[in-house]
Amino acid sequence: MVGRSIREIVWARLRRDKVAMLCLGILIFYAVLAVIGPNVLSAFGWDAYALNQDDVDPKKGGLPLLPLGGISAEHPLGVESGTGRDIMAQLVNGLRLSLIIATSATLLTVTIGVIVGLVAGYFGGLIDTIAGRLMDLVLAFPFLLLILALSNPLTQRLTDLGVPGGNESRVLYLILAFSLFGWAGLGRLVRGQVISIREREFVEAAVAMGAGRRRILFGEILPNLWAPILVYATLTLPAYIAFEAAISFLGVSVQAPDVTFGGMLANSVRFFNVVPTYLFIPGTFLVVLVVAFNLLGDALRDALDPKSAH
Amino acid sequence: LSRALALGVTSALVLAACGGQQQSAAPQGTPQGTGAEPTEVSGPQKGGTIYLLTQNDNWTDVDPQRIYTGEDLAFFGATIMRSLVTYQYSEDEAEGNTLVPDLATDTGQVSEDGLTWTFTLRDGLMWEDGSELKCEDVAYGISRAYATDIMGGGPTYQIQYLDVPFNDDGTSQYPGPYTASADEQALFDEAVSCDGKTITFKMNKPNGLFNYALTLGMSPVPNPVDHEGVDIGQDYGISNESKPLSNGPYRVEDYTPGVGGSMTLVRNENWSEAQDDVRKAYPNSWVVQFGLDPALVDTRLLDPSGDDVFALKREDVQPENLPTVFSDPLTPTADFTGRGAASFSPYTLYYWIDVNLIPNVDHRRAISVAMNREAIRTAVGGDYVGDFATGAIKPNLGIDYADTGLYTGLYGKPIPPEGDPAFAEELIAQSGEPMPELLWNFGDTAVGNLHFAALQEGLARAGITVKPGALPTGDYYKIVFDPDNEQRGQFGNTGWGPDFPNATTVIAPLYTDVGGWNLSQVHDDAFEAAIQDANATLDREAQATQWQALDKEAVEKAWIIPTFFEYSQNLSGGQVGPIYRWPAYGSWPYGVMYVTE
Repeated sequence: MVGRSIREIVWARLRRDKVAMLCLGILIFYAVLAVIGPNVLSAFGWDAYALNQDDVDPKKGGLPLLPLGGISAEHPLGVESGTGRDIMAQLVNGLRLSLIIATSATLLTVTIGVIVGLVAGYFGGLIDTIAGRLMDLVLAFPFLLLILALSNPLTQRLTDLGVPGGNESRVLYLILAFSLFGWAGLGRLVRGQVISIREREFVEAAVAMGAGRRRILFGEILPNLWAPILVYATLTLPAYIAFEAAISFLGVSVQAPDVTFGGMLANSVRFFNVVPTYLFIPGTFLVVLVVAFNLLGDALRDALDPKSAH
Repeated sequence: LSRALALGVTSALVLAACGGQQQSAAPQGTPQGTGAEPTEVSGPQKGGTIYLLTQNDNWTDVDPQRIYTGEDLAFFGATIMRSLVTYQYSEDEAEGNTLVPDLATDTGQVSEDGLTWTFTLRDGLMWEDGSELKCEDVAYGISRAYATDIMGGGPTYQIQYLDVPFNDDGTSQYPGPYTASADEQALFDEAVSCDGKTITFKMNKPNGLFNYALTLGMSPVPNPVDHEGVDIGQDYGISNESKPLSNGPYRVEDYTPGVGGSMTLVRNENWSEAQDDVRKAYPNSWVVQFGLDPALVDTRLLDPSGDDVFALKREDVQPENLPTVFSDPLTPTADFTGRGAASFSPYTLYYWIDVNLIPNVDHRRAISVAMNREAIRTAVGGDYVGDFATGAIKPNLGIDYADTGLYTGLYGKPIPPEGDPAFAEELIAQSGEPMPELLWNFGDTAVGNLHFAALQEGLARAGITVKPGALPTGDYYKIVFDPDNEQRGQFGNTGWGPDFPNATTVIAPLYTDVGGWNLSQVHDDAFEAAIQDANATLDREAQATQWQALDKEAVEKAWIIPTFFEYSQNLSGGQVGPIYRWPAYGSWPYGVMYVTE
């Protein structure tokens, strides 16, 4: 009998989970779309920014000429009312932007959360108290309201600091805002884990052998935390995607001519009665992405810790 | 001032064009949205309730001296606030802009030299409490607008026109009735004097327009000598506790501002048809419902049930529903004949361009030449939005309008609807300087973003780079009126409508600091002198020629980029008439409306 590493065991469990595999497939598809999609599409002539005035009817208030939102061989998912921009190209561009925002924010969230959690849990005492109150404070903030209210002044501040104005500043603002308000949950989780791990024999052994703090924190404790961190990250990412859609629906995200899912949805609700496909297509695209991430996150948790009930 | 923000087409574009009127035959033909016109034979009957549905949370103002939105001037003028003169109810552009006597017995007597106007009040006029409506009440109402610190935001033509001395800084020496000393009050009483039922106005310059200006912010208010404690300054009319005293056919029974709030008007027993030649007062009551989602109002009125059949939508129909209700911009579809009404709105939509930030006229012209105005119109709502504008003065302003030739060679070459990028590049080359990178301000709405996308693509064809300067709709004018604000771009979206049928209410506000809409920061002494000159011209046709020339000069120098002569399209529940837009205010003809069974 050959011994298997934890990684191999988890992977084997995941592979048996058909839903997880399906979700993983979907996510890989989305990821590929986001990375190479915009370039491939524009190489084939699908441009997210080009107006197609021949496909919309000024006599009908700018609605697409063809039924079902202008779906045709030329525009497989239809065209945007008013401008005639290709919805497929917009979706893929929006996907890239959404994933850039959500992935960067997740990475930053995890980094901050892990560092604060590690430090608070390991050192305890005054440091733990301060970190704990800080986490309480962050968790108590009305997150959504603050992001909406601070959007204009802080985006402007970023521009003043030298970030290119416009969408660069806005994207950076979102990433920073998501992370600064989002790390506290993971911080708490990590802190709790660290407190239990630091009393374990292998840590005491390391201490007894004279290992330094850095070695103990990052070499002994952190490797035992990657499972909850991974699960947390896979559940945070889709939450950020959905959250970005929500606030861009409310008008605080990237500006024209770029669009993300929320911006497309905000524009499409006006046409819900007349061009329902315009709402359903980006809506479905978004729901599938978020659900796939969530299901995969759940499956990953099950695979890492089959005994946990949920 | 401000128009509905959340709406599609103009939303957020025309945030605050002032309420206004238009005059005379529009070349495009009169609006056609008529259905059941009242006829002499069967005649509309008295009775019933008409509902007015609005997305606003409350009236911007219910104070006779502060109301400045066309639709509100029309509504309150028809129901509770009469003036010395008013406009006739008619669908016809010329008739609908004709002044008729209201509280006065005629439309005013002007002296030979144009310096004195006199009006005589009708007999038997009363306030809703049964007290007499006196000449002093008219004078008091007019004097209130001078208290600009307390009463700000309303029209102030009296300050501009009446012979009350000015301070060196251009403010009036009379501070309004609330804080005036006896000497200061005497300054006003000298200019506006009462002798029994006769009221006399002295002008500071020869003035042939003063009776038109009387329709704006000059309704009477109970004077404090006869009605102590009725006028409470800036709080007059804002809630149930301070309902304005009515002199029209209805009185305010209940006013609850806020989302879900309403205003109910019931008959005023102290008004009689004998003293009013204008208003018909058919319905027994009016109910205004506030804070309604405009899309929801559309849904309710497209297929109305219950009392919604007696309802009118105050704001324009949502752009996405326009093809359902109107077969072309001015004609309702068969199903909505007699329910949908459309006409030119009072507003011209345009881009302001800060002439200090883009000092080179060829650069400003290049923007105008390069943009794809056809694509922009399609993006913001298609043909329903309006006609391509050639200047700030709109065709429904009557004799003051003339095509400036913007699209037919004013800049040297005709400009097709999709723009002429090659010509724009020529202009930039001719300017001798590189085109600066542009920032365009617009209200951050879904439609605003589409508008920007269409603008950007058009300009890009001529190598002009423009970045989005989206601003929150509520802060838009605060930011673009502040030259030091970092978010302010070199140009942006706006709109303006005249206050009364004379282009002085367009040219002066847009290109001088007098009227408060000089977004382009124009300061041109020769131009201002020409405006003064035109203002002093008493021959109306000669004056119209002067306005046409000034309108053309402004476009020639590219101080603005005209975009659209806007249309407005409105909807009723079906059992309300008559269905047309009153040209005077681009509004429903509230004073002659009735319900049908």
